[in-house]
Amino acid sequence: MYRRRRARFAYFLILPSLIVITLLDLYPVIEGVFVSLQNQNMMRPNPEAYVGLRHYTRALFEDIVFWSSVGKTLIWTAGSVIGGYIVALCLALLLDRELQGRNFFRALFLLPWVIPDVCTALLWKWLYGDEFGVINFLLLQAGLIETPVQWLANPDMAMGSVIVVQIWKLYPVMFVVLLAALQNVPRELHEAATIDGATTRQAFWYITLPFIRSTSVIITLLASIWTFQSFDVVYLLTGGGPSGATRILPTLIYEKAFWGLEMGYATALGLLMLVCLLAISVAYLFVYRTQRGEA
Amino acid sequence: MTATTTTRMESVTLLRQRYRRAFIALLAYGVLAVAATVALFPVFWMASSSLKPGPELFARDMTLLPVNWTLENYRNVWNNTNFPRYFWNSFQVAALSTILSVVISMYAAYALARIQFAGRYAFGLLMLVTQMFPHILLVLPLFLIIQRIGLLNTHAALIIAYTAFSLPFTIWLLRGFFESIPEELEEAAAIDGASQLMTFHRIILPLAGPGLAAVTMFGFIRGWNEFLFALVFLQSRELFTLPIGLANFQEEYTFRWDLIMAGAGIITLPVLFLFLLMQRFIVQGLLGGAVKG
Repeated sequence: MYRRRRARFAYFLILPSLIVITLLDLYPVIEGVFVSLQNQNMMRPNPEAYVGLRHYTRALFEDIVFWSSVGKTLIWTAGSVIGGYIVALCLALLLDRELQGRNFFRALFLLPWVIPDVCTALLWKWLYGDEFGVINFLLLQAGLIETPVQWLANPDMAMGSVIVVQIWKLYPVMFVVLLAALQNVPRELHEAATIDGATTRQAFWYITLPFIRSTSVIITLLASIWTFQSFDVVYLLTGGGPSGATRILPTLIYEKAFWGLEMGYATALGLLMLVCLLAISVAYLFVYRTQRGEA
Repeated sequence: MTATTTTRMESVTLLRQRYRRAFIALLAYGVLAVAATVALFPVFWMASSSLKPGPELFARDMTLLPVNWTLENYRNVWNNTNFPRYFWNSFQVAALSTILSVVISMYAAYALARIQFAGRYAFGLLMLVTQMFPHILLVLPLFLIIQRIGLLNTHAALIIAYTAFSLPFTIWLLRGFFESIPEELEEAAAIDGASQLMTFHRIILPLAGPGLAAVTMFGFIRGWNEFLFALVFLQSRELFTLPIGLANFQEEYTFRWDLIMAGAGIITLPVLFLFLLMQRFIVQGLLGGAVKG
């Protein structure tokens, strides 16, 4: 009796959230599925005409831009996540010791995380500038380059440049989470290893790493999901250019929807992206489960 | 004799160890200082640039710190552009959506943390999956829907969207806080004959104060910083929020980096203040949200 009353109370509690999430998260996706099967091209008449899977076949089999954009998105995601993880792990290892002012340093390194995306992007645009950018200025002063580098305007440099910005944005959260995981490694294990004559490197590989493995898997998964779908930084820094060098999927979708006015096609691309994201997540979680099963 | 030599040898090794440790600590500080300098340089440069008068900003010989530092850029942004308007818009949208999402989510989070009900697992899973939906996908059909119901170019559309998108994360985070409150407390209240809702309001909620503070701040920062939905939903300049207002500066005031940097400073300051004020909660929140999720 009490339990049933309690359960009814629970439904009453979750109802508002459920309504909001259904209306604004689930319903749009369903509507999106319908839109992706319709013409929805604002340059042509009859937007609601049913076109079947034409947008999907166009993306998968005809549109070279789509596939090149998929490749760019993978480079962008992998580069940012791997770079961010390396930076985060190094900082976390450095701070994982008895150190005066550890919390101060932790706050310091977390700081880039609070800078709003727009500010991050515009700030880096200013840093990267070819005439008045401080990065070029410092490199010129140091004699490392002879003419200013076009960090964002040169198609060969642009992807690397935007990845650096994303690493800067991404590493703080990874760092905080990894540091917390490192602090859970029992000190006695390291002491025992030192007594048994293990080198620092051995201790890292056989003690530290297994302990932070599951945290690493989860945090790199989350970072991949965030980066894979992130729009602001690239849109504001390069707008997908120069000549498509940084045209990752989110900027391609935005371009198609609001400049090309091809809402149907853009939505189809968005749904393909969602499928990719879900696939990545499932694969990751599968790896994570099996690894944990073995350990 | 043997005894004294061993103690002496021991003390020598101890001393050596201590030196070694001190050296490693010193080295760690050195590396940390260098790393912090590199990591924070962009922020430093933003602050420095925003305080430089125009000629210094575009000088051939750059200086790290402003030579004649000035608040002129800030005054210009505040007095001669639409910035105060954007500031107020952003504050309204962020504050209202945060209040809405915290109030709605605390009930769901409590149910998820404390009550056994059919569909509990599915509901938890839904919270995780919806967090994964790419915003660039959601924004397209939402744009059509919002247009259809006539809410395009209104703050209401933004407030609703922000509320919905912070819900899953907020619920997930608050759930952890509710779980850490001892269960005996509500059992005692239930025996005393308090209604379930009353127990929640009077006993559980006050104890979840730090958690509520943390999610409120997360929600506010999220609304304050959000870019994509504001970009798509808003068209009139007087409705712009800070992020798109500032992004628009690029076209409106080309090459006015003095205005852009001061504007960026104004957007960052409130968030920075909240961050410094509640740093501990933020770290807790990140750990709760990321590690459990």
